[in-house]
Amino acid sequence: MYWRSLCASTLLLLPVVLAVDDIQAQLVDLAAAGNGLIRLNAQTYELLTTSDRNWSAAIQFTALDKRRRCEPCREFDPSWTAVAKAWAAVPKEHRDTHFFGTLDFDDGQTVFSQLGMTSAPVVYMYPPTQGLRQPASGKYNPIKYDFSNGFEAGPLAEQLSNHTPVPIPYKAPIDWARWGTYIAGFLSSLSIFRYIAPVLKSRWLWAVISILSSLIFTSGYMFTRIRNVPYSGANGNWIAGGYQNQFGQEVQVIALVYGLLAFSFLMLTIIVPYQTSAARQRLQVYLWVGIIVIIYSVLVSIFRVKNRGYPFRLFL
Amino acid sequence: MPAAYPLPTNVSPATVANTASLLRIIALALISGAAIASRLFAVINFESIIHEFDPWFNFRATKVLASEGFYAFYNWFDASAWYPLGRVVGGTVYPGLMATSSVFYNILHALNLPVDIRNICVLLAPGFSALTAWATYMFTKEMKDASAGLLAAAFIGIVPGYISRSVAGSYDNEAIAIFLLMFTFFCWIKALKLGSALFGTVAAVFYFYMVAAWGGYVFITNMIPLHALVLILMGRFTSRLYVAYSSWYAIGTLASMQVPFVGFQPVRTSEHMVALGVFGLLQIVAFAQLIRSYLSSKQFQNLLFYSVVTTGILGTFVFVGLTYKGWIAPWTGRFYSLWDTGYAKKYIPIIASVSEHQPTAWPSFFMDLQLLIFLFPAGVILCFRELRDEHVFVIIYAVMASYFAGVMVRLMLTLTPCVCVASAVAFSSLLDTYIDPAEPDVPRNPQNGGNTTLEDVVAAATANTTKPGARSAPKGIFGLDTRMIIIFNAFGMLAFFVFHCTWVTSNAYSSPSVVLASSNPDGSQHIIDDYREAYYWLRQNTPETAVVMSWWDYGYQIAGMADRPTLVDNNTWNNTHIATVGKAMASPEEIAYPILRKHDVDYVLIIFGGLIGYSGDDINKFLWMVRIAQGVWPDEIQEPNYFTPQGEYRIDERASNAMKNSLMYKMTYHRFAELFGGSGQAVDRVRNQQVPKVGPTLDYLDEAFTSENWIVRIYQVKKEDDLGRDLKSANAFSQGKKRKRSKPVSKRRAIV
Repeated sequence: MYWRSLCASTLLLLPVVLAVDDIQAQLVDLAAAGNGLIRLNAQTYELLTTSDRNWSAAIQFTALDKRRRCEPCREFDPSWTAVAKAWAAVPKEHRDTHFFGTLDFDDGQTVFSQLGMTSAPVVYMYPPTQGLRQPASGKYNPIKYDFSNGFEAGPLAEQLSNHTPVPIPYKAPIDWARWGTYIAGFLSSLSIFRYIAPVLKSRWLWAVISILSSLIFTSGYMFTRIRNVPYSGANGNWIAGGYQNQFGQEVQVIALVYGLLAFSFLMLTIIVPYQTSAARQRLQVYLWVGIIVIIYSVLVSIFRVKNRGYPFRLFL
Repeated sequence: MPAAYPLPTNVSPATVANTASLLRIIALALISGAAIASRLFAVINFESIIHEFDPWFNFRATKVLASEGFYAFYNWFDASAWYPLGRVVGGTVYPGLMATSSVFYNILHALNLPVDIRNICVLLAPGFSALTAWATYMFTKEMKDASAGLLAAAFIGIVPGYISRSVAGSYDNEAIAIFLLMFTFFCWIKALKLGSALFGTVAAVFYFYMVAAWGGYVFITNMIPLHALVLILMGRFTSRLYVAYSSWYAIGTLASMQVPFVGFQPVRTSEHMVALGVFGLLQIVAFAQLIRSYLSSKQFQNLLFYSVVTTGILGTFVFVGLTYKGWIAPWTGRFYSLWDTGYAKKYIPIIASVSEHQPTAWPSFFMDLQLLIFLFPAGVILCFRELRDEHVFVIIYAVMASYFAGVMVRLMLTLTPCVCVASAVAFSSLLDTYIDPAEPDVPRNPQNGGNTTLEDVVAAATANTTKPGARSAPKGIFGLDTRMIIIFNAFGMLAFFVFHCTWVTSNAYSSPSVVLASSNPDGSQHIIDDYREAYYWLRQNTPETAVVMSWWDYGYQIAGMADRPTLVDNNTWNNTHIATVGKAMASPEEIAYPILRKHDVDYVLIIFGGLIGYSGDDINKFLWMVRIAQGVWPDEIQEPNYFTPQGEYRIDERASNAMKNSLMYKMTYHRFAELFGGSGQAVDRVRNQQVPKVGPTLDYLDEAFTSENWIVRIYQVKKEDDLGRDLKSANAFSQGKKRKRSKPVSKRRAIV
């Protein structure tokens, strides 16, 4: 399909017969006007990807218009613009042999349908078909960028650099706001250190911190962070099926269950013996034992949902 | 003082003490017995066999060490691994495990007990688990008392989190490392408590043993300095700390550098810099203490301030400078990926591809630790309540290890001992409180109505109980029924724990994974022994020099069981070599063939579970091969090409072209449809997809062997055509002549 589109484009262009150099000069102008990024339409797209080109091109196919409701497109666009802008800083002899383009769906629906594209954003890298940099394999098919590294500009520039004449000199901008917050936070904590020192020296503050963190870690918080799992499933289902999977909400529930059980044990061990009234103490003992039994049964029943083959059950 | 139940009064204290110590010994002996026995499920259900993947290499290395001696082992160059590169085994292995079992082997043989080396290797892990229980007992005794120690020993003896890595036959470094870990920590605590250079040295010696045994020694290298650092920051610097740390660090580091695989890393890499930095800091602090004893406090404060600031700045500059100049290596990827969890997936896919390096979901925690997982926060709180120096250690350990266990399933192993210790402290505190027969003496105080206010209770509860002179509130339990219900409940929970552990051990952790078990319709056990069938086929039907290519998971097993050279194995040191194999598997035949020929590959071995529904097969690992190959040849292999345009991973008619043409796909489904009579009913039972009616054809390889249940398939790489044609056209030519090859009718049927 792609080849057909190329053939069609060359046929269309035949009457105009633009020399390759002219096209390149035109593209250079367009790129300079757009701050390193060419805003393409169907025509300029054909120019940029003309079949005999001694330049390479990286094109973002996107749909930025609000009506298209493409959230990832808008998320990815700033990274793309930043990388294209970084390319504009490259010395001229290299800069003019690689172009960055953006084709919005609303500007080139025909191209989208020619390429049979059903989703956006997509990034294609078109290798040059002439000159020293043409691929050794002789395959001029565009290469699709793999979004598995996310939408960040850093990996994008790194990956694209494999296809540009020189590596893209992209540097992540310094996040002044974040550094400012860090420094301000540090300075302010230094200045009020005198006042918060007693709090910092309190062992119970540290106890709370360490208990909370170990509860959260043992409830699978890192799993949800690393795997980017959703907070809860479709139709309000908060327990993910399967033994090696979980939702974000499970972390909270399980941490709460563990915390409650540990708290009951602590109450029984530490607080209850100090009761001086026998009747009250008896009541508390039965209360906490009851809580342990019930919550533990709940925990086991949740576990049975996760691990279907688990043969044991308590009172639930 | 009133008592809830009477105690015999006519027993002398000496008798009580003697009986208690006898009971402790009996209890420890029983715990050791239980620990060993519960690890023998694997031997009883299957047989005495080495498990999984890495143990096969350890077993092979042990045989070399036991038969040829230590020097031959150190100089062993294994030419059959990583063909054609080879591997310097002596310098790239932690020899502790092999040395341990060959010592046992030699002792037994000196005693004229001709025990097979395989049985020693199989039973080493259960044996050491008994020692681990004892080391945990000693450690916990330092935290609380002997009764908590016994509970902790019982917990660690049967807890699945530890059993998972130490069943009989799981002959891996962790088998002995957990004992060494706990014993080193025990010696460290003892050295710190007593200020004893002797215990510091013992800790160093066991640290050395640990370094020789397991790469996880870095955990100790960072835990002990962290403990020392926190103690200094808490203002708890003592000369005991100084003596303990200095003796441990100096001797331990020098000793650890004797292990060839470690070499100069302890002074050259970032993982070890915390230990070195804390060592330097301790010297400064100790020196400052010395000066302080000679100077007035005003002078001293000025001096201390300026000298600390200068040394701090100087030290930082030195570290930065050394790192910048490359004298100190930055964090290696394996450790760095623990902090930056996205790092491995992006840059070292080999590490990310291993299943035990995946993050842990909560059911795994509960499965491996059961009730301990929620007792353990209570134990940590109790540690905070007393907060002696050794309790600080448990607290740091708890927080660090629960983070690491959350990031990597494999590191559950390091969390387990700490959880056992902390929950034993919590559990035995509970039992202590409720078994004690003394009832509180309530002062009949009319003003207070006999009730203490909440503030009093909290103040009493949070008070440091070791502090003498604290206001002693009346404390204790009234009545017998309260005691009975708590103890009944506690024993119920412990009994449930035992049932849980036994079930998990026998069902989940005792499979050798070399031999698989399924059950027949009548419930009897059916053993699926395809791996060994195939490996022995290789051993008996191929020349000894035949190079076998497979994905790296099976390298150690092929070397161990088939005794044939392999291209890549589980010692994943050369990413490019692995990526080469990945590329060959992921490319079309024409591209893969030159790669195979250049590497002298004679046979290609793949694992296929589609017939019997064995999910750990090569098609499920295939994407990792693609990813790793893509890391090296991003122009030739691209992961998205192996998905359908809809982004699905399919193997049926709709599979992408790259997928259908890849060598892996062709080898996997070669003649698979024929098995079902070409009726189009060929269903891959792992992917639950229907395989195309017309199966893939192979031009460059020949099917050489397929095991009973099709789990292992071996293909022979054809030699170049005699007439110089490429094999594809040669095949076409021979088929054009309509010379029908006689194919044997397959008699294999699917096992239901």
